[in-house]
Amino acid sequence: MKKLLNEFLKGIIRENPTFVLVLGLCPTLAVSVSIINGIGMGIAATFVLLGSNIIISLIKRIVPDRIRIPCFIVVIATFVTIVEMTMKAYSPALNRALGIYVPLIVVNCMVLGRAEAYAQRATVVNALFDGLGMGIGFTLALILISAIREFFGSGQILGQTLFKGFEPASIFAMPSGALLVIGLLLGFFNLLKNRKAQ
Amino acid sequence: MKEMVRYGFILALICTIASGLLATVNSFTKSKIIAQAQAEEEASLKEVVAQGERFEAIKSQAGTIYYRVYDKEAKFIGVAFKASGKGYSSIIETMVGMLKDGTITTIKILSQNETPGLGANVAGRDFTGQFTNKKDLTKVQAITGATISSRAVIEMVKNKAEEIKGLIKDGK
Amino acid sequence: MENRLIVSSSPHLHKGESVSRIMWMVAISLLPAGVAGVVIFGLNALWVSILAVITALATEGILQVLTKRKVSILDGSAFVTGLLLAYNLPPNVPIWLPVIGSFFAIAVGKQVFGGLGQNIFNPALVGRVFLMASWPKYMTAFSRPLNYDALTSATPLASLKEGKILENISYLDLFLGKRGGCIGEVCILALLLGAAFLLIRGYISWHIPATYIASTAILTYIFGPRGLFSGDWLFHILSGGLILGAFFMATDYVTSPLTRKGQIIFGIGCGLLTAIIRLWGGYPEGASYAILMMNAATPIIDRYTKNRVYGTRPL
Repeated sequence: MKKLLNEFLKGIIRENPTFVLVLGLCPTLAVSVSIINGIGMGIAATFVLLGSNIIISLIKRIVPDRIRIPCFIVVIATFVTIVEMTMKAYSPALNRALGIYVPLIVVNCMVLGRAEAYAQRATVVNALFDGLGMGIGFTLALILISAIREFFGSGQILGQTLFKGFEPASIFAMPSGALLVIGLLLGFFNLLKNRKAQ
Repeated sequence: MKEMVRYGFILALICTIASGLLATVNSFTKSKIIAQAQAEEEASLKEVVAQGERFEAIKSQAGTIYYRVYDKEAKFIGVAFKASGKGYSSIIETMVGMLKDGTITTIKILSQNETPGLGANVAGRDFTGQFTNKKDLTKVQAITGATISSRAVIEMVKNKAEEIKGLIKDGK
Repeated sequence: MENRLIVSSSPHLHKGESVSRIMWMVAISLLPAGVAGVVIFGLNALWVSILAVITALATEGILQVLTKRKVSILDGSAFVTGLLLAYNLPPNVPIWLPVIGSFFAIAVGKQVFGGLGQNIFNPALVGRVFLMASWPKYMTAFSRPLNYDALTSATPLASLKEGKILENISYLDLFLGKRGGCIGEVCILALLLGAAFLLIRGYISWHIPATYIASTAILTYIFGPRGLFSGDWLFHILSGGLILGAFFMATDYVTSPLTRKGQIIFGIGCGLLTAIIRLWGGYPEGASYAILMMNAATPIIDRYTKNRVYGTRPL
């Protein structure tokens, strides 16, 4: 039980996909303009990750090593398409805001990375907890980045304007601002880690 | 050779299961997606011509050209149409409502990807509100610092409005 | 320790100069342009400059204390950064703009990289570009020269970009600075005075400014508005931030190449990019982006233009 908890928790801080493994930056940079987008992308990616991790660890015995990549991609793409169709049907506004980045979860290095590095060797239960932890870690990172960007870039938190007369810096709403925020956060987390190690 | 056949078989099996799954999900969501798109279109039509009750799409092979708008008494009051054109950094798409005498009722920016803080302000009420109840669009003020985006919107609305006006006349 | 390092290619001969002394000389050479800016645009230009400088010094000091490094706010480099940033702002910006710009320039443009000598990009330009991307509304609202109310006017380059014809502005107006623009870029006469001082005392060499200005002029002359070889190259030299950029920002020791050959490549690159942005880009003025892009290319230029060690084969 403790081991499972560990599998779950490692994705949130110790092996956070965004800030430690530095995987899946493309959607992170593109969609983290507002918290709602960040949460939407996080949940979509978590669902795909969870599904692909479980299926891949289930089929690990029948998939030959030499064709594992196309097999993994088909599995991942299936889940992504399910997410996209569901989103279009039930939340068209979110789908429009996330745009091309929903289909692009297919090539999110984080999903394939976990399949390659973990799920294809793990038991189903372990893979499930790993996928859930990684997904939540990714979502939390997205929320952190998008909260900073939403606040500075449009002066709002969750679509609510906080201060009257606050002039938002539109650079944070642009991709260059995303790079800036992620870079500074990465530096900050490394600083914390180094302090702790000393 | 035998290996290859085995690989092909496994991959085909996975693909078959995947497509079966997708087909199932698609059968659930397809009608819903179409309904959503229609509801959105309806909502933005309603937004640009508030008095409109019924919207009749005039279609050509290429798709919908414009909508004829009828009020509660089924009287033809005006049209609604989409206009799009190149802005500063993206294609800007707008929905325009126009009364039959050529007065613009409202415009609404459907999609744009202009510079945040500058060109993106064309979607704001301060700018789009200027079109309301205007016949002569030369009086619409461009946004300071975002001349290219603003002019693009003004031009596309003006040109398309002329075109549609011609069509309505011919239709009568 | 960094204070004692003069960055140049070998052989070395100590001249009794220090980074700090050079920085203060650069600061002095910038003063005439600032005075001209205040005369042309009024007192607000002065407040903007003072605020930018104070914030730059304070940010540098606070960050050095926080990171437990030696406090070196008196070496002049933060002063020059703050001043250059202010010179790159329109005179009537809200007073918080230079404060945020200076903070960003020093904190993200310089200290994040490890302080003086470590930064890849010219900090003042980093600050300017940050402000430009963040609050374009204020960064593109220029006030009229010699007219101390808040009336705005377009800069000559902006009018050109929008296809307006410029009839009411003469070369003399441009040379003296009677035009809309940023605080420190408008008065070419004052800038040239400062530049001459730096050139004569040997603090900067002619290589970057000359190649930069010449290549901008040649390109804008060739690709003129009425066909080839019809461009108004003198107008392009005298307007925008070209002169300020060429003499005071492209020549920054830390972010420009070390060898003469490298500096010539750097200057030509800046000139080409500036002209390309002005002629075909989205912005009316491109000097700051051109210099920043070439800053990024500096390490690779340095690598391929290294002086040959005596007696070895060429690379």
